[in-house]
Amino acid sequence: MSKTRQVQKPYSYLFAILLVIISSCATEKSLPHSDDPHKPYNYSARNGMVVAAHPLAAQAGVDVLQHGGNAIDAAVATVFALNAAEPFASGIGGGGFMVIYLAESKKTTVINYREKAPAAASADMFLENGEVNNTWRRNHGLAVAVPGALAGWTYALNKYGTWKLAEVIKEAIRIAEEGFIVSKTFSKINKDEYEKLLLNAGETSCYLNDGFPYEPGDTFRNPDLAAFFVRLAEKGMDDFYRGDTAQKIASAIQAKGGVMTPEDLAEYRVIEHPPLTGSYKDFKLFTTRPPSCGGLFVQQLLNIIENWPVKDWGHNSASYIHHFSEALRIVFADKARYLGDPDFVSVPIEDLISKTYAADIAALIQPDRLLSDYPYGEFDKLADKKENTTHLCVIDKAGNIVSLTQSINMFFGTGIVPENTGFILNNQMSDFSPDPESPNAPGPGKRPVSNMGPLILFRQGKPLLALGSPGGTRIFSSLTQIIINIAEFGMSLDEAIEAPRFFSYSSQGRARNLSVEARIPLDIITALENMGQKITIREDYDKYFGGAQGIMIPAGKKVIFGGADSRRDGQGAGY
Amino acid sequence: MKKTAIIFYLMFLIPGIGMENPEAIEPVFEQPILLTSAGQNAEVQLVSVLAKRAGLTYTLSKLATAAELADKKTLVLSIGASMKGLGAAGLDIKQEKTRITDLVKAAQDKKIPIFCLHLGGETRRGQLTDELITLLIPLSQAVIVVNSGNQDGIFTRLCEEHDIPLVGVNRVVDALKPIKDAFK
Repeated sequence: MSKTRQVQKPYSYLFAILLVIISSCATEKSLPHSDDPHKPYNYSARNGMVVAAHPLAAQAGVDVLQHGGNAIDAAVATVFALNAAEPFASGIGGGGFMVIYLAESKKTTVINYREKAPAAASADMFLENGEVNNTWRRNHGLAVAVPGALAGWTYALNKYGTWKLAEVIKEAIRIAEEGFIVSKTFSKINKDEYEKLLLNAGETSCYLNDGFPYEPGDTFRNPDLAAFFVRLAEKGMDDFYRGDTAQKIASAIQAKGGVMTPEDLAEYRVIEHPPLTGSYKDFKLFTTRPPSCGGLFVQQLLNIIENWPVKDWGHNSASYIHHFSEALRIVFADKARYLGDPDFVSVPIEDLISKTYAADIAALIQPDRLLSDYPYGEFDKLADKKENTTHLCVIDKAGNIVSLTQSINMFFGTGIVPENTGFILNNQMSDFSPDPESPNAPGPGKRPVSNMGPLILFRQGKPLLALGSPGGTRIFSSLTQIIINIAEFGMSLDEAIEAPRFFSYSSQGRARNLSVEARIPLDIITALENMGQKITIREDYDKYFGGAQGIMIPAGKKVIFGGADSRRDGQGAGY
Repeated sequence: MKKTAIIFYLMFLIPGIGMENPEAIEPVFEQPILLTSAGQNAEVQLVSVLAKRAGLTYTLSKLATAAELADKKTLVLSIGASMKGLGAAGLDIKQEKTRITDLVKAAQDKKIPIFCLHLGGETRRGQLTDELITLLIPLSQAVIVVNSGNQDGIFTRLCEEHDIPLVGVNRVVDALKPIKDAFK
């Protein structure tokens, strides 16, 4: 062997070693999936992870983690980035709920930044000549509730974060300025909401492409939002709630027939409170409280399911789906009867999540046929007290966790965009019941009931799973199915998320159709029909059932796993 | 070079891929137009904007019935089933099919030509939409489709079988010219 070759060999080994070291430090970005986006894929990382409904947003969060930010810093960076990258599902014009686990103190807390009704709201505000006017509830100025998102994000950042607003918002500004390639999901939703956007955002809005919906592959840019975020970084939250932006928000809403005033914005406050807690076998659940009902009803469903041998029945067997759907119908009866803003109405939370009540419900359900009626629970005494959407999970190196769900309600909210701001205002007022007698009727300052239910599941005192989903009334059904998929059917996180879903409910005592994803086998569907179920078959992977995101931290392992739902554009990033 | 040439030629052979269908629609359709959705899709609003930009005289009626054909010269259908749209209209697919079938029959009885569009692309295909496509395309006198919704050639096959002029476009906005050119 020549001397030249002898010298070359050690260098090539050194190069190879360096390559291995460098690649192990790199971010596991949106790791290449197989060609099939629906094939279950668990992201993995050792130090920190973000799973969110858009890869740019997940990356924004992980960049913060990698540069020393904690989970709360990363979560806020992610939500700003989602506003730019997934503007149809959440943003500064909306609100939400955040569950935070602080590793050092082992404390879990909830930040409620749900929107509130304006002061001029009234119980009968959506009735026109005695009939419900659904346009007013969805595509009109009256549909807008006072946004809580910025107040919630800023509160979390100031109290539990370590970075400043100007730092966490940087990547969102870049995404809004430079734009991104529109996905099939974005395009389809843009087309579905075209009429509303045409009416309220206008033909020249950036939310339309020269007056037409965006096609997959187009580039979406939002220069107004970028400029607005730059101003926000300079001026802070006060401008939004008490300054120039507050005036613009109120003007835009009033121009479309709404009643919100700048004073409504100035009055907005975030609420922080302890989580709602419950259990399923050896798991402990920490989640949001009303007016968020998602976590409450996940717990109620788990309590009911605990009475059944679901593992023996098998995943998505006819018995499992039938019993679960009947349980859902009774839960919806409770929801209609009792749920409202606990600052205004009594909500019998402890009764609803009592194991005894759940056992009674389980015993009521018949194994081979539908009930003839779906009664709500009657409780002795009400304690004195007084929803289209996105979800993300974050974990940092220290073990702090954020599980956050937020929304502008329906995709693209009202479509109303305040002048020169680029963000869309919610239509969260439609989450109130139009029935003036309902505990969830609108009223001054009330927060509408939300189906959102971000949660953290613990086992033996340690966090095991952060989870949440969008999906409106399907949220708590889907979350419960995912939890059971993991706890009883032994699935990995993303297998549990991608598994076929189903949903049903009751209304005024009557069962509604059982909706199922088309992947449920025909023989199961036939068996369900023989029990009296009326089936609606939806798409194979239907976003009707939500778009869950989760992070799992298996005990004793040094690896974090992330799962992101292929029903939307969910992805994970970790390092 | 050879590979590029092969790909170039294949683009002409594979239906609906890449290139606009060269077949134009003869300017035989008359105004005023009754425009409605077949399946309560959101794309009927797109057709409305295209018609407006094309300077056409039309009435948009999402739940149009036979009675609304009274003074109309062409029936334009935007095809695509939307569960959301059906829900908002308080209809199921069976009721919507009945409405459309009755409307189409009335148009045929009055010798009013039918012009169909499918602008929802690939994402507006599925079992229910395909049922509407199979039902309505053979009854129409012209079809415009966004190419990504015709990747399996369903529109091409049906139009060839029934000798119906078909124009494929890559983007919704590209449908403006063929719509404008089709009307007197």
